[in-house]
Amino acid sequence: MQSFIIAKKELKLLIRDKLTATVLVVLPFVMILILGLLLGEGFGQKNDDLMRISVLNLDNGLGLNNKPWAEHAIDDMVSTPNIKVEIIQTKELAEELVKTGKRAAVIIFNPDFSDRVNDCSFLSTGVNPFHRDGIYLEKLQVSIVKDNKQPATSAIIESVCQIALLRIVMPWMIGKAFEKLGDPEFIELLGKEVSLPIPPSLRLLIPKDKIPLGELLELASGKDVILAKNYREKVGSGIQIALTGQFKNYNLTGKSWASLTRSVNNTETVKTLTTFQNEDGTGILKRGAIRYQILVPSFTVMFAFSLILIAGWIFVAEKRQGTFNRLLSTPVSTPSILLGKFIPTMIISLFQILFLLALGKVLLGLKIGMPTWSLTDWMIALIILPLATSFCVASFSLLIGLLSKNETQLALFSSIPVCLFALIGGCIFPWEMMPDNAKTLAFFTPQGWALDAFREIMPSSFDTTTDFKLIWKSTLVLTTMGFILVGITWITLDRVRFSNS
Amino acid sequence: MTQAHSVILKIDGITKLHGQFKALNTISLNINRGEIFGLLGPNGAGKSTLLSILAGSTNPSSGIALLDREKIQPTNLTLRARIGLVPQDFAFYEDLTARENLLFFGQLFRIHGQILTNKVNEILQIIGLDDGKADQYSKYFSGGMKRRLNLGIALVHSPDVLMLDEPTVGVDPQSRNRIFEAIKIINSMGTTVIYTTHYMEEAETLCNRIAILDHGQIIACDTLQNLLSLAQTTIKFSIIENDQTRAGILKQNLPALIPDSSPGNYSLTSHKNATPDIINLLVNEKIQIINLHMDSPNLEKVFLSLTGRHLRD
Repeated sequence: MQSFIIAKKELKLLIRDKLTATVLVVLPFVMILILGLLLGEGFGQKNDDLMRISVLNLDNGLGLNNKPWAEHAIDDMVSTPNIKVEIIQTKELAEELVKTGKRAAVIIFNPDFSDRVNDCSFLSTGVNPFHRDGIYLEKLQVSIVKDNKQPATSAIIESVCQIALLRIVMPWMIGKAFEKLGDPEFIELLGKEVSLPIPPSLRLLIPKDKIPLGELLELASGKDVILAKNYREKVGSGIQIALTGQFKNYNLTGKSWASLTRSVNNTETVKTLTTFQNEDGTGILKRGAIRYQILVPSFTVMFAFSLILIAGWIFVAEKRQGTFNRLLSTPVSTPSILLGKFIPTMIISLFQILFLLALGKVLLGLKIGMPTWSLTDWMIALIILPLATSFCVASFSLLIGLLSKNETQLALFSSIPVCLFALIGGCIFPWEMMPDNAKTLAFFTPQGWALDAFREIMPSSFDTTTDFKLIWKSTLVLTTMGFILVGITWITLDRVRFSNS
Repeated sequence: MTQAHSVILKIDGITKLHGQFKALNTISLNINRGEIFGLLGPNGAGKSTLLSILAGSTNPSSGIALLDREKIQPTNLTLRARIGLVPQDFAFYEDLTARENLLFFGQLFRIHGQILTNKVNEILQIIGLDDGKADQYSKYFSGGMKRRLNLGIALVHSPDVLMLDEPTVGVDPQSRNRIFEAIKIINSMGTTVIYTTHYMEEAETLCNRIAILDHGQIIACDTLQNLLSLAQTTIKFSIIENDQTRAGILKQNLPALIPDSSPGNYSLTSHKNATPDIINLLVNEKIQIINLHMDSPNLEKVFLSLTGRHLRD
């Protein structure tokens, strides 16, 4: 009862200080909003050291193995080490991304790309896509939308495109050419172009010095048309076999770079193919930006623990104005006094956490929870976890407030749990931006545990599953920390109140 | 009523050490039920420390304080309901109104409902904050009003013993009088009052008995009248005819009489009021007096005569 009287008074004082009350709940949201608007879309994303190639595939033809040539080109790029391919959905989006500087260049495989590749040939009638430095992109119906402000990156992307196209067009043309060696037209041509000398012993039968190969085959077939065709085919396949034997390190009929070069599949290469996701959000507030999934939990936890400073300051102010001693001189027990101070901090912390989550959800399009969550899951996420966090915050506040004799001491003491722990705990710089072992260190701080759990309930994508074991573990750790801190505070206050000093 | 029954607070051999420093040195006192007891002493004499022990805020290093035979100590929380302490510094919530402050502290002493409402109204009237000021934020109060609220909070639970630690520091004479009036009203209702001050006038005005504290020791403790008798009084007079005969008569009858540098002027300093003796002597000897001046005894002089120092040194 006495506790509630003290708690009610504390809350009344806080509500009367409208500026502080407003700042307490609004400031964290303003910070989230400002950072959300200022930071780039890559904030909080792990740097994977891969070159991103953005591709728009409009190809509607078919190529090798009844698969559009654009997909072959994309596969080729994906298989290239240190490159990740991102598929852009529409031309408008591609142009917008380049225009806004979010992408240096986007490779576009236009609708006729497969048809044009199919037409590429060493034959005079075919499309010759080559020039001295590479491939004429326009001849293959490939275009690249470039950001002129990012020429270096654009040039690299174009080079990647050139190499990928070379690797699909060249084997395709060689393979087709090799097949041509068996064609009747080629043997006919060969038969006319290649003349063999007639040995003297046969000149009675063939009164010529030389005989074209074609005539020789006709003679051999005895004017039998079918047999003549058969002989021609044998010559063609003979040439192919001979060439295959001659260049046995290559599969000249392979038509793909891997087949042509007889490459062994490199299993170590990580193939990364993603689809473009708008991680930058929409509208003035950048609703739905992926960085809010990092910023909201981080700042929610950081500002919850910042209450240590505010609650501690109220404690110190009460000591300074003498009311704390007056409180201690009443018959109210130590646990009741502590509980009276504890409840308001916990209520404020709880309110602040839920307010930020609600505002994040409504205004920033924050993703909270999973579609598959049950009511119990929601209760764990939105009641149990915030309660455990607030419990730890309130416990910390009491201890720091009690130990601080003045504002200077409070500033010094609270800088450890408010600033240092927030930094180590990953609230200021996301773990993704910190060294790999930073997360291990984070688990020495309550912020680290709280943040880990809060990020679990605010996932960056719905593809993952929620690790409720982790949330329970964090909840348990935070509660245990809270109880230990309350115990220390209780002992300390009893010593202050009942000691001989 | 026996002496034992009249004693509400018994202090027996209390010593308080702050490290090597002896803040209180074997203090023993009895405070009677219903009296206003003054603790007079210069700053640093140990008044606040003694009050802190008597209020149960801290333990003595040795000795014991009993409130109606029950030991006063910080762990004895139930006893605190019988004690009201008015600290020297303001100790209330400035962002609460006077009424809210009184209600809050009243509730902490488990007083609720109509009883609390009536009590708060009564106290507001006693301390003179019932005229619309009761519902103003106390941060806007004048120094005197703050002092009165500080006093009121200690009264809300109707303590048997009210302890005031220099409650008039920095207040104007009008507010001081209001505080005095309030204390007298509270005392008339049966509350024992312990009043610490270094203003002798306050002790003289209010207190039935006074203990003079210096360097952590009680150097005197008695009624005002008896304490005043400890003071040395100086009488100065001038006579018209100043010859060897008259001077001899005066010297013979008043050996402590000191002739001044100017002829016919004399002064006499003694622990008792010697005025009647001097006048009788002069009348009997037919010595004509030009003027006679006597310093009234006060607690300042008592302190001076006991310690050789002024109270406010």
